[in-house]
Amino acid sequence: MKRPTPVTRKPIDIDRVMASVRDDSAGGTVVFLGTVRKKSEGKAVRGLTYEVYKEMAERKMGEIEAAVRERWPVVGMAIVHRYGSLEVGEISVVVAVSCEHRAEAFEACRYAIEAIKKSLPLWKKERFKGGDESWVKGSAIVK
Amino acid sequence: MKVKVLYFASARDLTAVNEESVRLPDGTTVAELLKEVVRAHPGLKRLEPSIRVSVNFQLVDGASTLCDGDEVGILPPVAGG
Repeated sequence: MKRPTPVTRKPIDIDRVMASVRDDSAGGTVVFLGTVRKKSEGKAVRGLTYEVYKEMAERKMGEIEAAVRERWPVVGMAIVHRYGSLEVGEISVVVAVSCEHRAEAFEACRYAIEAIKKSLPLWKKERFKGGDESWVKGSAIVK
Repeated sequence: MKVKVLYFASARDLTAVNEESVRLPDGTTVAELLKEVVRAHPGLKRLEPSIRVSVNFQLVDGASTLCDGDEVGILPPVAGG
């Protein structure tokens, strides 16, 4: 199945991402979805605007997948991150991992999303109700 | 030599620059470039301790030496996911 575009401005098609990791040798598939929350530190959020350093993020996503495949017996794996303007409830990130057995699928998926949070060159700006906007503080990027 | 410097997110807001070409003496290190960039854009000063730098899409440390034509990313703290 065709690999989904890893960094995209378009809404993420979950079915396509799932189909890309589906395989008859996999007995378990774990999918993590990150979605835009309506509140941040008590303030009502209208949406998020994501900015990405695309070429670097794509490379880093490849490295994360390679690191996951080295540690766990992964059958299929896909990471997709959206950028641009998202509304509350929309999907910002998907990690899908299929393995022969569920335990390694859960571990591999968890590892990948934590690595995404720490090491992808991505930034998000919260757009609050009332019109304020601010960059989410985040933390220094790591390898 | 010349390198291309890209500013992202809050770093771009503070410099009001997306990208710029910077002329440097041969052998300039990443730490020296960052100092130069902060000198040219004093607004970056408060962000400086948390800025990390990429060269040609790889995170590098301050001691790395730059080459002509390098693409340098000024990366403020990240918040993906």
